[in-house]
Amino acid sequence: MENQKIEEFKQLIKSRLNKPMRYYLDVCTRCGLCYDTCHAYYGIPKKEYSPVNRAEVVRKIYKKYFRPSGKFFPYWSDATEIDDNVMEQVYEAAFSCTGCRRCMMFCPFGVDMPHILSIAKLLLIANETAPEELVMLADGAVEKGKSIDLFKEGYRNVIKDLETEVQKKLNLPSSENLIPMEKKGANILYVGLSGANSIVHPAVIFNSAKEDWTLSYFEAVNFGAFVGDPEKMQFIANRIIKEAKELGVKEVVIVECGTAFRIMKHMMGELPFKVSSIVEVIHRYIRDGRIKIREGSIKEAVTYHDPCQLGRNSGVFDEPRYVLKKLAGDFREMTPTRELNWCCGGGGGLVALDNEEFRIKSGKAKKDQIVAAGASVVVSACENCILQLNTINQGYGLGVEVKSLSELVSENILTGA
Amino acid sequence: MWDYISYLVMVPMVYVAFTTLILGIIFKVYTVYKSPSIPARLGVYPQDDITPVGIIKDSLFWPVALKKSPLLWGFLMVFHLAIVFLIIGHMELISDFRVLQIIPHDVFLGAGALGMILIVSTLYFLFRRFRSPFREISIPEDYLLLIILFFSILFGTIFHMSARYGSYSELVKISAGDFREYFMGLITFKPVLSYKLALAPHFIVLVLHVFFSNLFIILFPFSKMIHSLFIFFAISLKRK
Ligand code: SF4
Ligand code: SF4
Repeated sequence: MENQKIEEFKQLIKSRLNKPMRYYLDVCTRCGLCYDTCHAYYGIPKKEYSPVNRAEVVRKIYKKYFRPSGKFFPYWSDATEIDDNVMEQVYEAAFSCTGCRRCMMFCPFGVDMPHILSIAKLLLIANETAPEELVMLADGAVEKGKSIDLFKEGYRNVIKDLETEVQKKLNLPSSENLIPMEKKGANILYVGLSGANSIVHPAVIFNSAKEDWTLSYFEAVNFGAFVGDPEKMQFIANRIIKEAKELGVKEVVIVECGTAFRIMKHMMGELPFKVSSIVEVIHRYIRDGRIKIREGSIKEAVTYHDPCQLGRNSGVFDEPRYVLKKLAGDFREMTPTRELNWCCGGGGGLVALDNEEFRIKSGKAKKDQIVAAGASVVVSACENCILQLNTINQGYGLGVEVKSLSELVSENILTGA
Repeated sequence: MWDYISYLVMVPMVYVAFTTLILGIIFKVYTVYKSPSIPARLGVYPQDDITPVGIIKDSLFWPVALKKSPLLWGFLMVFHLAIVFLIIGHMELISDFRVLQIIPHDVFLGAGALGMILIVSTLYFLFRRFRSPFREISIPEDYLLLIILFFSILFGTIFHMSARYGSYSELVKISAGDFREYFMGLITFKPVLSYKLALAPHFIVLVLHVFFSNLFIILFPFSKMIHSLFIFFAISLKRK
């Protein structure tokens, strides 16, 4: 590889050497306790899919260029220069990791693999070998942020159609204003996704709760984060923050998308509004009696898959369970569950890639959990997880029904209550 | 020639080792201090105890490791505890600390047992890396540090045990007092390597012990050994 390119890579690595990165790069003793804690390793037991090995791929490069030992005595830490072969390893490490951070729960030092792998993703972008799909989706989101006025008209027309759907579901005489937009001073700015369901079901819930809400022009999903471009990630999240500030809302509610929620809640610093997941809001409405649901209406055994970014990485565990236990007579936990729950294998933007075979194999842990729980309905609260659970369902022929929590609630809401 | 080498190891190299250790740690901490912070919270949930007590508990007792591998945790615990006791033991070779004599004892509380424990646990750590899957994730540093540590402990233990249990005449048998003279000389920058020490039986074993210890101390700040310090920082991020 030419020197100029290596120099560029070095600068990129340097740009990521923040405090946490320094700890994580130095603290690992390669004790191996995380070795088998990754769902990808569970499904495909190759060292490449062990968390520690993923980190080592990056660490060896870092040592080569930033440590005297790497320069003068590379044998010591197996320090490696960047070449095409190494870049392939970097790709394998970064884009087989969903960023679930399950491995972190088993590391005595709490090493954050996805944080280390953010270096890998940055190198791949510079090398122009980052997944094209993700780069394009991130660019699209950035473009939309830059020229939102061009999109507004078309989007409002789409929303009109969705309002009719909401009207039907709620048996209302008019579809007028069922999905308000650009409403200044609303309590809630709801940020959905591009799929109709991510707007219709929450709209049914908000309207039933007589909430003062408004819909965002943007999608919550952050492809900037998936592709690993910190600037695009910031830009994509900032579009929503700007919109919320301009409207002067009190709370931003994020659709069932774990990553979008975690970014807004935990990664953007202090914000002048509250950030909640739609799951928390649904829980709040039911708890406070603002919406009524058909309790115990689901007769089949139901289990819940904790989206990693919502549960382990954001702390939303109890709210979905509260809702599901009301809806279902037979609610079953997966084993292990909550913060130790296995990742489904769809996060980190992996569901957007052409990698179905890998995702079916790496979803084996999840498949085994679903089978062991003996449930026929699998509920989750993250669009990525739902897509991946469907892939697993089909891939292994499980014959279960995969549902999102908001869909389940919207279907079982008592209208006119 | 031998005199010269042993003096090099017992005096100048000790200075080099401790200077490297101190400057190295300062350098590491300074590098971290100069690195930018990030606005993101990197914690995992549920966060049961985010106080300093929680951080210290996780950093010193590694409950996560206990759950995942009780056997490894056991060895790690015993190993680290033995290290702590041995550091205390070496401090008593520098001076007679009253507080340490709450339970009256001869210098080196474990009377050799701690060295044995360390030898066994170091071998355990080493041997587990000989087989899969730990072999695949190990790098030369992991083996080399363990080997250096193993030799340091082995020679230290042999020396201590032979000095303690060997039947030598009182004339040549060395005591804590002889070490205090040596250490005090080093600390006050008036190093002496007394004849008594240099003529002690197994002096060569002592020199080897000091040599490997020096090596380990020099490598400490620049190797994964820095985990002993950074664990507190990394764990506090996990609980943030
Ligand atoms: S558990 Fe932590 S310290 Fe041990 S190998 Fe994995 S990342 Fe490294
Ligand atoms: S974050 Fe998740 S996917 Fe990535 S290495 Fe850790 S366990 Fe595997």
